[in-house]
Amino acid sequence: MNAKANKNQVTSIEPAYYQAITEAIRKEAVQILKDETVVGVVGYLPGRRKGTASPALVTTVEEAEKLIFSPACVNNLSVYLTKAKKGVLKQGKVGIVAKGCDMRALAGLMTESQLQREDLFIIGVVCPGVYGFGVERTGTVTEANIARKCRECTVHMPEGADVAAGTHAELADLTPEEAEEMARIEAMPQAERWAFWKEHFSRCIRCMACRQVCPFCYCEQCLCDKNRPQAVESSPRPAGNMAWHLVRAMHLAGRCGGCAECERVCPMDIPLNLLNRRMAQELKELYDFEAGLTPVEKGPLNEYKENDDQSFIK
Amino acid sequence: MPQIITEQNLRNLIDLLVKEAKLVVGPKLSGSVVLYEPLTAGSDLTLDALPRRSSKELFFPICEDILSYKRENGAMKVNDVDRSKFPETVLIGAPPCDAGSPAILDAVMSWDYKDEFYLERRRKSTIVGIACTKGDDACFCRAVGLAPDAEAGSDLFLTPLKDGSYACKAVTEKGQALVAAHKNLFAEGAGAEPVAFVDQAVEKLDLVKIKKWLEDHFEDPLWEKIADICVGCGACAFICPACHCFDINDEGSTDDGVRRKHWDACGFAKFTNHASGHNPRDVQNKRYRNRIMHKFKYYDDKFGKTLCTGCGRCIRACPVGIDIAEILETINTKHD
Ligand code: SF4
Ligand code: SF4
Ligand code: SF4
Ligand code: SF4
Ligand code: SF4
Ligand code: SF4
Repeated sequence: MNAKANKNQVTSIEPAYYQAITEAIRKEAVQILKDETVVGVVGYLPGRRKGTASPALVTTVEEAEKLIFSPACVNNLSVYLTKAKKGVLKQGKVGIVAKGCDMRALAGLMTESQLQREDLFIIGVVCPGVYGFGVERTGTVTEANIARKCRECTVHMPEGADVAAGTHAELADLTPEEAEEMARIEAMPQAERWAFWKEHFSRCIRCMACRQVCPFCYCEQCLCDKNRPQAVESSPRPAGNMAWHLVRAMHLAGRCGGCAECERVCPMDIPLNLLNRRMAQELKELYDFEAGLTPVEKGPLNEYKENDDQSFIK
Repeated sequence: MPQIITEQNLRNLIDLLVKEAKLVVGPKLSGSVVLYEPLTAGSDLTLDALPRRSSKELFFPICEDILSYKRENGAMKVNDVDRSKFPETVLIGAPPCDAGSPAILDAVMSWDYKDEFYLERRRKSTIVGIACTKGDDACFCRAVGLAPDAEAGSDLFLTPLKDGSYACKAVTEKGQALVAAHKNLFAEGAGAEPVAFVDQAVEKLDLVKIKKWLEDHFEDPLWEKIADICVGCGACAFICPACHCFDINDEGSTDDGVRRKHWDACGFAKFTNHASGHNPRDVQNKRYRNRIMHKFKYYDDKFGKTLCTGCGRCIRACPVGIDIAEILETINTKHD
């Protein structure tokens, strides 16, 4: 999966690397639009501010020639293929630019019968990493400005794409901040851990950005929006916030591909991916299952097997 | 007569106000983010960063109880919130894009229906604004008619000077009263030169022209083009100093509960969902169109003001990088 050839040598990724990916994406996107393989391509366009980028739904060759890949291409574009975004894309086969971590969401959505592989043309990005939130956008990716998830990335090479854009590149040994933070929380006595999350959730303003960017939060009626009768208190107060976050964590268990988009977009800096990863760890231990590696018939929480772990029933 | 206050005296002023049992709110580091929070001492105040959320929450909290109810012996008893208990408040250290927000919102809050929760807090508050010398590439206050040294909304206005002190100008009677009550902390004189402002990338917008374009282009391909990527969260509205939508929910049981008012956003899919199930804003770009329409047309139609201070928060926070300043620039250059 993860070629280690460049280990211990690379300390930064220069703009030229992203430029090469950009060229490759443009070439592919133009081609598949020209030969009408697809009706549109979901990719990235540059933003007004220096070093920013935005998702884009392009349908013409002219637009496709402007697509980019830069360290600011943080979004997981697969959210645009879900039914939560219905109406955005024309019917037919679509192209999509996907980093390794985004590919996991695509595989998960196929598992959940939300997408068909034959309806997609996947331009995989051989991805060295993207910016973290609020960092300096210098054009060059280094230990100082790389996203937390990328520090521990195991999916730099996009497996199962139709074409791969870029050649292998990887940052040398990065401190796995998130893993360290998980270990620290894991080592806490339960009461302290509870206090840790309580404090974080108390800051939640219920803007729902975490839900709206998540490719797996595609429910047309979210339990947490229900008000006739109300299922979860919708006011941003500690009780409802706690309930919302438990619902979110549980509903994503065994499905979340770890793109960490929810955490990235949280305006209140709530470290949601720690919860996602903890749930994923649980799934791995109990069912030897990792979400989104390859599309499967059914996820472990959607089916019953005789030999399933029963120890949680007390 | 111009007056000056040193940074130390500004902090001392906060200490004194806290001692006077006033609620003093200002930018403060809270975990990893700077927020407008109650200051317990002058040393809490941090003026290095624009708070993540705007200061509107001082008057329009994220969530507040508006009444409680309880069934007792078969009869329902409703208790109102005693608004006279709202504390005297001093907001300190708000830049023009935040201090200016009540000057916009007072109109809608005191229109046909008077929002007494908001208005009572406004009556009891004094706003100490501060000229902004820290802008970034998302700021565009100048483009919407404000400026890094705009006094609108402030009762007392501070301008950072090169020697670290602040020039003070009492803009309103409230501001004068605040200075008068703590005279010994202020010195008379013009002081050092002011700290320079940061340039802004967005040229001054022709808001009249933009409004006219909006009037004629409720239906336009632009909406799909710019807003099909919007994911429909509440981030832009919640952190915005000018957005003021709220929802009301009864929480608890049928016998014992609280009626709460809390922030809402027109970006949410169910914002305009009718009881019948019909939703006039059925796709996301129509919801985003409403954001622009409300800010740059409807609010102006009703109240003669633009519902945006150019703080740039929504630009920094939008999960998908939608840039309201870029959109306004695009509309500004349209000729039909
Ligand atoms: S986690 Fe891996 S694939 Fe995803 S953005 Fe980071 S480096 Fe790229
Ligand atoms: S829960 Fe978060 S990390 Fe997991 S798929 Fe959704 S957005 Fe990505
Ligand atoms: S993005 Fe953050 S603040 Fe918003 S609802 Fe999610 S956790 Fe809460
Ligand atoms: S619309 Fe955006 S830039 Fe304007 S006041 Fe609101 S958050 Fe600030
Ligand atoms: S822009 Fe939307 S959320 Fe903001 S005040 Fe207007 S209707 Fe409300
Ligand atoms: S414009 Fe951005 S922040 Fe606002 S609702 Fe859309 S995605 Fe969310």
